Amino acid sequence: MLPLKIPRQILDEMVAHARALDPYECCGLLAGKEGAVSRHYRITNTVAKDAQAVEVFDAANVKQLADLSEAQKAEVAYFMDPKEMLAAFKDMRERELDLTVIYHSHTHSPAYPSMTDIGLALYPDAAYLIISLEHKAAPDLRAYSIQGHQVTRIEFQAI
Amino acid sequence: MIKVRIPTPLRPLTKGQGEVEAKGANIEEMVDHLEGAHPGIKGRLCDEKGELRRFVNIYVNEEDIRFLKGKDTTLKDGDEVSIVPAIAGGN
Repeated sequence: MLPLKIPRQILDEMVAHARALDPYECCGLLAGKEGAVSRHYRITNTVAKDAQAVEVFDAANVKQLADLSEAQKAEVAYFMDPKEMLAAFKDMRERELDLTVIYHSHTHSPAYPSMTDIGLALYPDAAYLIISLEHKAAPDLRAYSIQGHQVTRIEFQAI
Repeated sequence: MIKVRIPTPLRPLTKGQGEVEAKGANIEEMVDHLEGAHPGIKGRLCDEKGELRRFVNIYVNEEDIRFLKGKDTTLKDGDEVSIVPAIAGGN
């Protein structure tokens, strides 16, 4: 994977996004060229409202969501709004950018991919970035490559 | 011809191409046609019973086929189909 560079402004925006939705998980996409991020897309976490989300988690056998309340679902999981993803990918095409980072927040746990994250990691070319709000005053951001259940930490540079 | 947008995880099957052309009167036929040109792609889109996998979103001209007729959604010349695998996870 190419060295990852993320503008400080976008790092700040992601933390703000995570804090705004806490205790619910936020999610979004970053796009750029050759590992250098230049564009941020906040995506709505529709895990609580979208029936497809429960089916996807069940089919991947990673997390039982069906018995949780809407609020509980959004505290422990995220599912990106498919329509917003489609719009983000269209914008990337028009700007000739590549999907570079897939991010979400963990509001109660460390910035390490969960079994759910690993089981549902369908984009091996993207970096998966997790914003942990476990310690509210000190958000922890870490990026990983997840390829075929193999998790590798990726350092990123704030630019 | 139908223009099909291929997501990055499936591009190893299309020689890196982000857009390919396909034929078919509906989504099911289009998937079979894609499989002929890019072997292995059907198994990524459909389960062993031939049903579309739950985490695969398919759009025809930006309309989600789940809200149309699923794999029976009809296609016509010039349609644009986007394949977008779900992005999900949790703590």
